[in-house]
Amino acid sequence: MTVRIGSLELKNPVMTASGTFGYGEEFAPYVDLNRLGAVVVKGLSLEPRAGNEPPRIMETAAGMLNAVGLENIGVRAFVTEKLPYLRQHDAAVIANIFGETIDEYSRIAEILNGAPGVDALEVNISCPNVKKGGIAFGADPRDAAEVTKRVKDVTDLPVIVKLTPNVTDIRAIAESVEQAGADALSLINTIRGMSVDIDKRIPHLKNITGGLSGPAIKPIALRMVWEVAGVASVPIIGVGGINTASDAIEFLIVGATAVQIGTANFVNPRATEEILEGIERYLRTRHIYDVNDVIGTLNVREEM
Amino acid sequence: MCDSVTELNRMVMTGVIHSNDAAAEDFFVMSVAVSDAFQAAMPGQFVMVRIKGRDFPFLPRPFSIFSVAHEGGTTIIEIFYQVVGKGTKLLSRLGRGDELTILGPLGKGFDIRQDRHTIVLIAGGVGIAPLNFLAEYCKGSDDVPEKQTRIICFMGARTADYLIGRERLDKICDTLLVSTDDGSEGYCGTVTDCFENHIGSVNVEDSTLYCCGPYLMMQSVARKVRKYSMPCQVSMEARMACGIGACLGCSVKMKTDDETVRYLRVCKDGPVFDVAMIDW
Repeated sequence: MTVRIGSLELKNPVMTASGTFGYGEEFAPYVDLNRLGAVVVKGLSLEPRAGNEPPRIMETAAGMLNAVGLENIGVRAFVTEKLPYLRQHDAAVIANIFGETIDEYSRIAEILNGAPGVDALEVNISCPNVKKGGIAFGADPRDAAEVTKRVKDVTDLPVIVKLTPNVTDIRAIAESVEQAGADALSLINTIRGMSVDIDKRIPHLKNITGGLSGPAIKPIALRMVWEVAGVASVPIIGVGGINTASDAIEFLIVGATAVQIGTANFVNPRATEEILEGIERYLRTRHIYDVNDVIGTLNVREEM
Repeated sequence: MCDSVTELNRMVMTGVIHSNDAAAEDFFVMSVAVSDAFQAAMPGQFVMVRIKGRDFPFLPRPFSIFSVAHEGGTTIIEIFYQVVGKGTKLLSRLGRGDELTILGPLGKGFDIRQDRHTIVLIAGGVGIAPLNFLAEYCKGSDDVPEKQTRIICFMGARTADYLIGRERLDKICDTLLVSTDDGSEGYCGTVTDCFENHIGSVNVEDSTLYCCGPYLMMQSVARKVRKYSMPCQVSMEARMACGIGACLGCSVKMKTDDETVRYLRVCKDGPVFDVAMIDW
């Protein structure tokens, strides 16, 4: 089940999606963290962030909108309070980082570079719910490349760049980020959306718009992973609406080397482990001994 | 290995519906048999509920525990809910034998203060749910000293028909005072006004207030209790996705001494909070 994300070797391709798994410990009563390929932690900023005013979430058809606004304890508190617990486990720790300026990305990356137990960085240039930073960097190929380069300059860790779907051509961003030195790409972040209370005629979210996640976005995420797989030579981590093992396998087939489980963790806190077991079963029943033999095997030429 | 998996699984389980009856229009009491693995719940805790095998609603929904009973070897939990949307409508159509996925008990329940001997409950509408459990617990548990079992309950609803669970509370509480919006029973007006009218008969020095109801009602209680220097705990409600502290969706604004903005998670830091912790 071993897969490689740049220089990082994961014992299996199942990881958590940032912002849906806390700092890992929230899920310890439900999931054996040692079973997971990696835990991607809640996005970290240089200073603690309070996040957006509630209401922050709303269920929509086959998914949910959120506008949490990157509430987090800040990178320093993460290193002292959360990392010691996480690193005891046999799962890679991937720190998702977020800055309002390019300098902030660089400073957070520096702090984490010296932190024992962090195995890789995931650079969030795709959050739709914050006023500054986030999607502003992810929507422009040059800005996205600049953030990537500045982070790469200050860290020895593998750098994964998380892309937004809220662009005209995700391939252009992917290519630009790869050229800037990204070791891997993860996609997609949430899709901007909204929902309205027709009695009060107000948005369901205080932030008015939010990021859509859940099964509703899976076909879009899958299409984008397939598109990017056609142009990128670095590993791709597929994320977006994965709710079952067969969802995850679809992503592997279209070219993802690993997958992240996000909103499914809210529906079933045991989702990651159950999806991992489902992938293992899929391989076993088909006598496939290496998960890499499934990755990027989509057959579009032969008769279906 | 198997033991550790069972251990990890202990809070996610299948619940089998025993009954699901309308107590008034759009208000239902559901009793659900859960496995032995369901841990001892404290009053104020909640469960996340999903209809087993259904894709809709997508997210589980939080419900306060209304009561916990043990019949033979089975634990039965009751939830009291109001039909407010499509999810609760579907829930209301389920019957005996239907299955739910239950996660819980979750959250921080009421802190039962041993240093004060009177328990004052203020419940608005469906907010009676955690307070009923609290009253039953205080009368039935060995953990609560005998002398601390004086319970005064203020119960408010829109009309007499909606005073659901009052017969049970009447047996448990030393004093039960009801109020209705239309005056069809008891005091005509809000439960908070009813409480204030009777404050003279409450020994505030020796009482703790426990409150649950609509936001505006709890806000009103929060303002009133400041005058009486009476400890007060409120059980809050919010939209939730995970129920275990990860999604950060159910935030409420925390009262801070300075200008800093901080949020508390209803699911993990609560749902029960000291009234002074919330920025109303």
